[in-house]
Amino acid sequence: MNTNYPNLLRVTYVFAAAGVLTLVVLVAVSFWLLEKTSNSTEDVIKAREQRTALTRLLLAVQDAETGQRGYLLTGESRYLEPYNVAIKNVPLRIAEVRDQFKDNPEFKPRLDRIEAAAYGKLKELAETVSLKMEGKSEQALAVVKTDRGKDLMDDVRELVAEQIDLVETKLTKAIRSQRDNAVLARWFTLGAGLIILLAALGAAATILRYTRALMAARSKMQQLNTGLEERVKERTADLQRANDEIQRFAYIVSHDLRAPLVNVMGYTSELESGLATLTSLCEDPKLDELESGGAARTAIREDIPESIGFIRTSTHKMDGLIKAILKLSREGQRILRPETVDLEEFFDTAIASVQHRVSEAEGEIKVLRPMPTIESDRLALEQVFGNLIDNALKYTVSGRAPQIVVEQVPSRWGAIVIEVQDNGRGIAPDDAERVFDLFRRAGAQDKQGEGIGLAHVKTLVRRLGGEITMTSELGKGTTFRVMLPRKLPEKRNDE
Amino acid sequence: MTNSEGKAVQIVMIEDDAGHARLIEKNIRRAGVNNDIIPFANGTDALAFLFGANGSGEASARKHLLVLLDLNLPDMTGVSILEKIKANEHTKRTPVVVLTTTDDEREIQRCYDLGANVYITKPVDYENFANAIRQLGLFFSVIQVPETN
Repeated sequence: MNTNYPNLLRVTYVFAAAGVLTLVVLVAVSFWLLEKTSNSTEDVIKAREQRTALTRLLLAVQDAETGQRGYLLTGESRYLEPYNVAIKNVPLRIAEVRDQFKDNPEFKPRLDRIEAAAYGKLKELAETVSLKMEGKSEQALAVVKTDRGKDLMDDVRELVAEQIDLVETKLTKAIRSQRDNAVLARWFTLGAGLIILLAALGAAATILRYTRALMAARSKMQQLNTGLEERVKERTADLQRANDEIQRFAYIVSHDLRAPLVNVMGYTSELESGLATLTSLCEDPKLDELESGGAARTAIREDIPESIGFIRTSTHKMDGLIKAILKLSREGQRILRPETVDLEEFFDTAIASVQHRVSEAEGEIKVLRPMPTIESDRLALEQVFGNLIDNALKYTVSGRAPQIVVEQVPSRWGAIVIEVQDNGRGIAPDDAERVFDLFRRAGAQDKQGEGIGLAHVKTLVRRLGGEITMTSELGKGTTFRVMLPRKLPEKRNDE
Repeated sequence: MTNSEGKAVQIVMIEDDAGHARLIEKNIRRAGVNNDIIPFANGTDALAFLFGANGSGEASARKHLLVLLDLNLPDMTGVSILEKIKANEHTKRTPVVVLTTTDDEREIQRCYDLGANVYITKPVDYENFANAIRQLGLFFSVIQVPETN
């Protein structure tokens, strides 16, 4: 699967960012629209109040006129009652109107005119009423008949109506703006909602794709994993089989190699005993009389013994090699028996068995405590550490007393790591791998050995589930580090 | 080597390696054993001699035999020959000396379990080998071999 995960993630982020951005813009715009709507609403309320104030002023003036007319007609003072109330009310109403329009200085001239008209009317009313009160009814009627009062009243009515019209216009505008705001808000909300929805859908789609890709990858990985485990198991079994086969092969081969070797050695001995007879024949002076007597004597005394000597050393060497292979293959077939081994006690015994050699070389061998206990095969451990200590004692620098230290070093993974350090001749870096190979040796070949010790040790440590490594400095000394599991791995036992 | 009645004992040597066979014979002779040695280089011929053409074992009846057996044979394992010898009515009392290169513990146990009388590993070192065979020869000179039925 070639899903580009970073790209998918980027797309998801873009969608999310777009959604959030739209949301922020929506909130800001909604707030702004709300503010605007609220302003318009205030305008509407204000306009209504202004209209009411104007209407009340007109009513108050009309009331005053109605009271005046009733009084003029009847002359009864109870008709003056509305008039008296009205003339007290008019200034209040005017103040009210002024108060309502205090935020609209542009209307001040108009209001002045309304006020003037209203007071003009009141003045005319007061004139007629006072004439009537004085009993001059005719004069009062005459004033009425001049139509001055009517004109004044019409003025007031007209001015108020005009003012109301103006207010109405303002009101309509405010209401329209309010409606426009609402429409705008609706469309904007709709659009923003759509964008958010799209962003959410887009994000959801990418997340879905991403999740699907992840699931697919995971299931594929699981499949691979299972397959891998199977394969590892198969390979391990194959290796085990191959290993067993090699062991059997080594065993059979070494056995079959021994049989001809017995013959070679046997008949060499037979030759030697035959040669003994011939050698005694050489002493016979009669041999000198023969033509080839001298040559025969040389052959019997020098050539044949030399040949036999070479045959012997070669067969001995071959015998050693075959024994080594046999030993290794047998070691590989031996069933390990885990037991609890106290390494302190174990090394005490191991050292006691080489103490005489250490004393002879005037050297020293130390086991640093504490030593742990380990659950492993005792015999294998004896062979491993016996070999390492033996090597340390064997490959010394002449004139330098061997100093050997065995100690536990800290390790991870709960394994036990034992180091065997010596101050011997050391191993050159080029030979570091070679020394663990079968029949291979390193350095000066002045000591007896077939080159199987370390190969054997390596095989054994592996069988014990551990590992052996080496650090060395030529001429200074060598440190072998043996890492062993605290407990012998189970499966090694069903081999 | 004789039986109780003074009859000569025959040594049946089953050994595929002619060199080994010759070395064994030489060293047995050096130990002063002069009995007949009948050599066989493979299991089939040896079985034919021991059990006859019909395989009944009748052929070995009333003989005094001692079998010297190698385990690594070209046509069969010495173990199966040992098994047959010890299972046959006529040959089951015949002493069998296993003389082989195999020194595997399990193999040795198996041979004794099957009724082998002696198990000797051929030493590779010739001196030891010769010694072992000579001692075997001395052993032959004193043991009693019963008559087969």
